[in-house]
This record gives sequence, C-alpha cells and structure tokens, in this order.
Amino acid sequence: MHLHDLTIKKFHEGLLNKEFSVLEIVQSFFKCIKDKDEEIGAYLTLNEEEAIKAAEKVDLAIAKNEEIDILAGVPLAIKDNILIENLPATAASKILKNYIASYDATVIKKLKKAGSVFLGKTNLDEFAMGSSNENSAFKIVHNPYDLKRVPGGSSGGSAAAVASHMAIAALGSDTGGSIRQPAHFCGVVGLKPTYGAVSRFGLMAMASSLDQIGPITKTAEDAALLFNQIKGIDPFDATSAKFDYAGDLLNPDLAKIKKLKIGLPKEYFEKGLDKNVSQGMEEAIKRLKTLGLKFKNISLPHTSYALSCYYIIMPAEVSTNLARFEGIRYSRINADRIRTNADNISVNQRSYQRKSALSEIYFRQRGQGFGQEAKRRIILGTFVLSAGYYDAYYSQAQKVRRLVKEDFDRAFDSSAGGVDVILTPVAPTSAFKINEKTSDPLAMYLSDILTIPVNLAGLPAISLPVKKYCLGGKELPVGFQLIGKHFQEADILGIGQYYERIED
Amino acid sequence: MAFKITEKELKHLAELARIEIKSSEKEKLAKDLGKIIGYFEELKSLNTKNVLPMSGGTFLENIFQEKDFSQKRLSGEKSAEAFPERQDNFLKTPPVFE
Repeated sequence: MHLHDLTIKKFHEGLLNKEFSVLEIVQSFFKCIKDKDEEIGAYLTLNEEEAIKAAEKVDLAIAKNEEIDILAGVPLAIKDNILIENLPATAASKILKNYIASYDATVIKKLKKAGSVFLGKTNLDEFAMGSSNENSAFKIVHNPYDLKRVPGGSSGGSAAAVASHMAIAALGSDTGGSIRQPAHFCGVVGLKPTYGAVSRFGLMAMASSLDQIGPITKTAEDAALLFNQIKGIDPFDATSAKFDYAGDLLNPDLAKIKKLKIGLPKEYFEKGLDKNVSQGMEEAIKRLKTLGLKFKNISLPHTSYALSCYYIIMPAEVSTNLARFEGIRYSRINADRIRTNADNISVNQRSYQRKSALSEIYFRQRGQGFGQEAKRRIILGTFVLSAGYYDAYYSQAQKVRRLVKEDFDRAFDSSAGGVDVILTPVAPTSAFKINEKTSDPLAMYLSDILTIPVNLAGLPAISLPVKKYCLGGKELPVGFQLIGKHFQEADILGIGQYYERIED
Repeated sequence: MAFKITEKELKHLAELARIEIKSSEKEKLAKDLGKIIGYFEELKSLNTKNVLPMSGGTFLENIFQEKDFSQKRLSGEKSAEAFPERQDNFLKTPPVFE
C-alpha cells in the first residue's frame, strides 16, 4: 500500500484485512517525513517514540481480535497550538519556545481514546495569526504543489503535511479561514465546524468568539469521521454546545442531499477573482448539478464590511488573550536579573515613574518573544479597545457583526424560500508566492475576505478541492467553499461525500 | 485613507500592551497601523443605530456546572510542571523586587 493512496477509510480496511500493521505504516510516514520535510517545513516537533508505542498498542489489539475504532492507529498531524501532554506546544512563537504541555486538549483526549497516533506537531503562523504561514518564528512552510509558493495559513503545516502525504489527516484551527484557506491552497479538504461544536479546551486562544478546531483531510468522508470523533459538549469549554447529529454525518442519504438548495451570493463572485478560481467555481457548480442539486442566486449585502469588522474584533480579543504570555509562566527568554531604568512613562497624559522590575520583565520578554504580526495585532487590539476609540471601532464592529450574521439568517430562512447551503470561492486567488505579501499586512488580510464572514456568524463551512490534483503537476489547486446552517455539518459534509464520488 | 498614529500615541499603546517596541520597528508599525485603521473608515458609513452589538459566537444559554467538576481539574503538581523554572517546591521567577 502506497502512502499516497491512504485515507482513514482505506487505512482502516487495510488493517482489518491484515494488509499491513499500524507500526509499518507509522514507520513509513516517519521515513517519508525525514525524506521530504526538509524542503516542505510542515513539522515543528516529531513524536516518534510515543507514536510507535501507540501503534504497537493498536497492533496488539488487532492481534487479539479486539474490536478497534475506525480512527485506531490513524497517523495524524496536530497543529502546534493544540496541546498534547508532554510534547512541546510553541504556537510557532519564540515566547513559547521551551513550553511543554502539561495536559491533553479535549480533542486530543478523544482521539487518544479512539487509539489514533500522533506523528508530530505542525507549523503555523505565530499564534495562528496569518494567511501564509510566513509568520512562524521558526521556519516557513512551502506549498507541496509549488515550493516557491505559500501553503496558506495559519494551519499551513497541517495542510502541507496532508497534501504531501506526511500524515493521513491533521487537525487545524480556524479563526478567520485558517483551516479552509490552506486546504484550498494545498488541494485538501478542510472543515471549520459550527462555533461551539468542538471543544476548544487545550487550544491556545487567539480570538475566543471566533476560534474553532477542525479536521484537514484528503476526503470529505475522512473529515466527517474526524469531526464525528472530536465534536461534543465539554464542561471545560463553556461555549461548547450539545447537539445530536444522529447518523447523518457518516452515512449521508443521497435522496436527502439532492433536495438541498444551494445559494450563490453575488458579493462573493465580484471580488476580483483570479481566472483559475472563477473557472474552478464554474466547474464545481457544473459537477454539483450532475448530482441533481438546484442553485439560486442570493445576496449577502454586508459581505464587504466583514473584513473591517473582523480585523477589529479579532485583534481586540488577541490583545486580551495574549496578555497571559508575559515571560514569567510557560516559557522564558534569557531571564537574567533585570535592572530597572526608572524612566517616566505616560498614561492618560499623566506621568508616572516606572519603578517595577516586574513590568520591565514584561516589556522585554514580550518585546523579544512576539513576532511582528503578533505585536501589530496586540497593539491594534489595544487601540480599538482604548478609551476614545472604543465606540467608533470596537462597538461599531460588534454591531456590524450582527448585520453580517443576519444576512446569513435571511438567506437560510426556509419560511421565506431560503437556501440550505451557500457555495462560494475560498479565496480570491490560488497559493501566492513566498514574500509576495509580507511587506503589506493589509494585502495579506484581504486574502481572508471570503472566509471571515463564516466565523463572524459562527457557521460551519468546508473547503473542498474542485477536482483531484496531482503533486508535481502544473496546476495549482483550487477549492470551493460550502457554508451550512448552524450545526448542519451533515449537509456540507454530505454534499462533499457525494461530490468526491463523481467520476471525471 | 490612512489614519495618523503619532509616535506619542504608539508609545502609549505599547505601554498599555506591555510590549517593548524597538526604535527600528516604530516607523513601519505606525504606518501599517495607520493604513489598517484607515481601511476601517468604511464601517462609519453604516447606520447601526438600532442594531444590538453581537459579542459571542452563536447562541449562549445559562447552564449549571456539572457535579464534581472541580475534581476533574489539573492537579497543582501537574500545573507546576508547566512552569519554566522550579526549585524544591517553589516556582522560580526572575527577581522582581529591588
């Protein structure tokens, strides 16, 4: 069995038919990582010793003819902002360079229960802040389809690992598109679940009202399998919700899927899409029509305001969430004795003497520990929350957030002839070149313009490759986005599962 | 339209955020922030007079915490392991008083 052909489903069947052992496959993945990852840069930490132990445990269970979970032995890559006990969790930041996680995130606990194997922790933009993975403090990630291009971000390492067959599947996190955009750039599937569907306990918080953990996989079927395992209410995350998905996630009913009405919002198609992206959308729509799905043109009038709204709310939450990283707890950079230089600081036009060595430590550790983008967002968040600007920016953005959400509510309103699912491009372009946008943060932010509204509204959305792309081929992958109603992951995963069965 | 962040304002924001900004970073940071904040101007044209701010992700409702929840928490010993430096039973920090 070639690693290229492995999906979760095929891996499980292969195990049951004794075509290979978990250990054999896990060892081949590590060999593949050692051969290839130097040029890709997807992994920050490898977990070889523990992975082999976990693999042997599943092999033993198979040898004893015990029943195993469908995710048992599945070699996974985990984004490095999700905690696995006793492994480093750096979030690709210098400020956490020496941090070792002391507990498992809830999603990890659930996957361990199923017997999954963790190959290692994957690279990302520092604290998941970025759209190209170029904000990692340690190394950049190269797109497996063209090494001169970015894999997208922030879950760029996870998407590149799956695309280059260095893991069967991966977990990422999505605050404004960080699962879907890299999935689109790397030709894989990425699911951002409904806000609250998956526990965020053990995920380093970036913007708590927007963050969600989700799977990055080769197929929609695999995404459904992983999502099915990690979802659910968790007392450790007060925003997690209880929802009964019944059996719809894993066994979608074609008769039901065919009846879904798909909306095409005009605002998402007029944003200066690249030619290959608009061609990709036409192709996806054409293929979906062969399944018998019906389309309807709709409008989401506040779409163009979502970017501003997001880049106010997100940094505001970032500036508070990242306050905990002060260089005293978690990890520390060259913590020598710091002498204070008692200069004056000014707060609200009044001058104070800075006396404390403690605050001196904070300033220095954070100044050295955070990269450019993290600093920019923390300062921006501090600005929009500060007295005098709060109403004009933060408060106004929260109101606009409601308008964005109400656009979706109206589009999905079944009593008014609304649609069930919305189809859009994932980003205006395919993978862009390394360094193309690093000097202009605003240009970088604009690459999130089509994924952000979903997070503001808390909806589930999936990025699916338009067709099968070949590594080494000339074509850059293009994905399309399906947005579902709250907690209706079954709709978008169901369409995805039938879409990938359509023959070329 | 770019928004102007003065050097004084940037210094003030950095103080509030407890971040040391190197003098070599200042100019670009102020310029980038000005450009980003300038982009936000478009929001001012929207009439939001009767719109309630939306703060959370989706719907939230009040629920009771489950029984015995506190026992599931991480032990003190385990949490302390995450601290960068320790000596005997103490957490070691850089000197913070002079």
